[in-house]
Amino acid sequence: MTTRGGTLTTARPRVGRLGSVRDRPVLLVGLGFVALLVALVLGVGVGSVTIDPADTIAILAHRFLGLDIPQTWTDATETIVVELRLPRILTAMLVGCALAVAGATFQGLLRNPLADPYVLGTASGAALGAAIAVLIPVRFVILEFGLIQGLAFIGALASITVVYKLSRNSGLAPLTSLLLTGYAVGSLLAAALAMAMYLSGAALRQIFTYLLGSFDAATWPRFLATLPIILIASIAIMLRARSLNGLLLGEQAAAHLGVDVRRERRILLALASLVTAAAVAISGLIGFVGLVVPHVVRLLVGPSARLVLPLSAIGGAALLAYADIIARLAGGIPVGVVTAILGAPFFLVILRRARTGYEV
Amino acid sequence: MFPLSPFAQRAAPSARLAALIASFVLVLAACSAGSAASTSPTASTAAVATPTPLLTAAPTPSPTTVPAFPTTLTDDEDTAVTIPAEPQKIVSLTPASTEILFALGAGPRVIATTEFDDFPPAAVALPAVATYTTVDVEKIVGMEADLVIAGGNFFNPPEAITRLRSLGVPVLVVYAPNLAGVLKDIELIGSAVGLSAEAKAMTATMQAGIDAVSAATAGLVKPRTFYELDVSTGPIYTVADGSVYVEMIELAGGDPITTGSTADFSIPLERLIAADPELILLGDAAYNVTAEQVKARSGWNVMTAVKTDAIRPANDVIITRPGPRLVQGLRELALAIHPNLVLPSAAPIPPVP
Repeated sequence: MTTRGGTLTTARPRVGRLGSVRDRPVLLVGLGFVALLVALVLGVGVGSVTIDPADTIAILAHRFLGLDIPQTWTDATETIVVELRLPRILTAMLVGCALAVAGATFQGLLRNPLADPYVLGTASGAALGAAIAVLIPVRFVILEFGLIQGLAFIGALASITVVYKLSRNSGLAPLTSLLLTGYAVGSLLAAALAMAMYLSGAALRQIFTYLLGSFDAATWPRFLATLPIILIASIAIMLRARSLNGLLLGEQAAAHLGVDVRRERRILLALASLVTAAAVAISGLIGFVGLVVPHVVRLLVGPSARLVLPLSAIGGAALLAYADIIARLAGGIPVGVVTAILGAPFFLVILRRARTGYEV
Repeated sequence: MFPLSPFAQRAAPSARLAALIASFVLVLAACSAGSAASTSPTASTAAVATPTPLLTAAPTPSPTTVPAFPTTLTDDEDTAVTIPAEPQKIVSLTPASTEILFALGAGPRVIATTEFDDFPPAAVALPAVATYTTVDVEKIVGMEADLVIAGGNFFNPPEAITRLRSLGVPVLVVYAPNLAGVLKDIELIGSAVGLSAEAKAMTATMQAGIDAVSAATAGLVKPRTFYELDVSTGPIYTVADGSVYVEMIELAGGDPITTGSTADFSIPLERLIAADPELILLGDAAYNVTAEQVKARSGWNVMTAVKTDAIRPANDVIITRPGPRLVQGLRELALAIHPNLVLPSAAPIPPVP
């Protein structure tokens, strides 16, 4: 394994026929954007109410391009397109992007292929926060942000902070300590969550819905409040791709490359946790995307974080967007189920083709 | 388990958690089907004490059926709901509300219900816009509904209710923690759809029916009654303290055995054995649970009810549906507890035209 100017040029996995795309990340980016655009059109075009595609386009052109089109559609149709479907599909993309970027970051940071955005207790923390919010009898809403979103966000960040602080005082190697502390704290929070659910009575269904994850609650204010957090933190992570590449080689190698290991690890951990917390606050817990999308991207283009991070962002956005469209068409089944059903076989195929040299 | 959530993808405690979640939901689906009357300690204590005035902004309900619209009503979650004109496209998100609307005569104006509505037949045929966990906001907006009646106490997702309101659809939230609450909800819904005189007539008839049952059972010995909701998943689910079941069983002349807590819906077998039921009512009889199965359960043979063969089915749907058929349910419950009871005939609800 050699490095040149911080870019990894490690032996890449052979991916059979997929090898042709391997050296063309630009092509992949292009394909990704086309897929996202198609998802956007589909996401606004389909749903439980049938809307004429011409009306959909006219409404969008009228509202967002300011074109002076005579109104041939009903107000209800316009509400459905503009207030329900558009924020929903955009939120799905944003959350997919967030989870995939966070997953890629955690996998690289922890050098663990099983790491996902939730590995260090964020999921349990967020879920417990949401459960507590459901159980508190106060209805409290600021800018459409209820207690659930607020406490889920705080719960996710608080749990990862606790994990980080506790893990630093351990005699174990930092990564081992972090992972094990994360597991322990996560288990504790999961137990508290189980207790909260046991005591929740009729509120159980709402907690359960949060655990399954969904974009039913997507609104413009929520999307717009989450957008800058996820966008800025994701870009900040991508700007640190060089550090992530260094950390991937191990602490010593990273230090030799001039990476301030402790500082960079702390910053990347904080950024990835922030992205995760923002995502789980608006969508609940959606599994699979953050674990698998980065792996698929690595199998396609190799391990360099410079490519893995942006391509994971696009891939995650596309996967969740399509998963949500399918979930809606299938009568509102949980989107996490669809991501797994769509993604797992695809992932298995890619895994079988990757014969040699694959590692996180 | 498929990977429902990140929890389910990991090790043993997580798998157990996932199983716990799944079993809870099954139980909810199985035994509280259609009944928004699950126990809520705070709500029930609050509402028992207040057979309060119903309308806030309609001080003088006119004796005629001429509706006063626009009107502002206070729903069961204390939200002021303004209904601009007499609703013509009503969506009902709970089976009980559907029954109330049809019994009042507003059935032709109901355009959508839930996928678990089962009565009356005309309501079953309507499009469904809600499942146990979701409400299809898009469809409701697409139908241009002008009134949505939703279930409180988490029966419908609060998120969906907020959403509909933010899109300008009036949503009236109903939740009846007890019998008085059911009558109050019928009058509330009556006012919302411009049929308050009909609603008042109906609740008066219902109150008379309830009083008749209560009077008929007043002097009787009250058997210790265990009302079984579900045992199919392992725990024995029964009546929680403060729930509408307690009120119903007491009115029907029984002494209910409860879980001992308002938040706990299951009773440990030893607590049940110690309480020694004299009568077992099978609310899960509709799910093919029989007296023979009960007798064969290990440990149950020590109970008086099992020894004396006092195990009888109960029609759980009618007993717990907080709507117009409640008096019928109460009468059936009274007859299940006291098979030889003679009840005076009651006026049918809804009134036969």
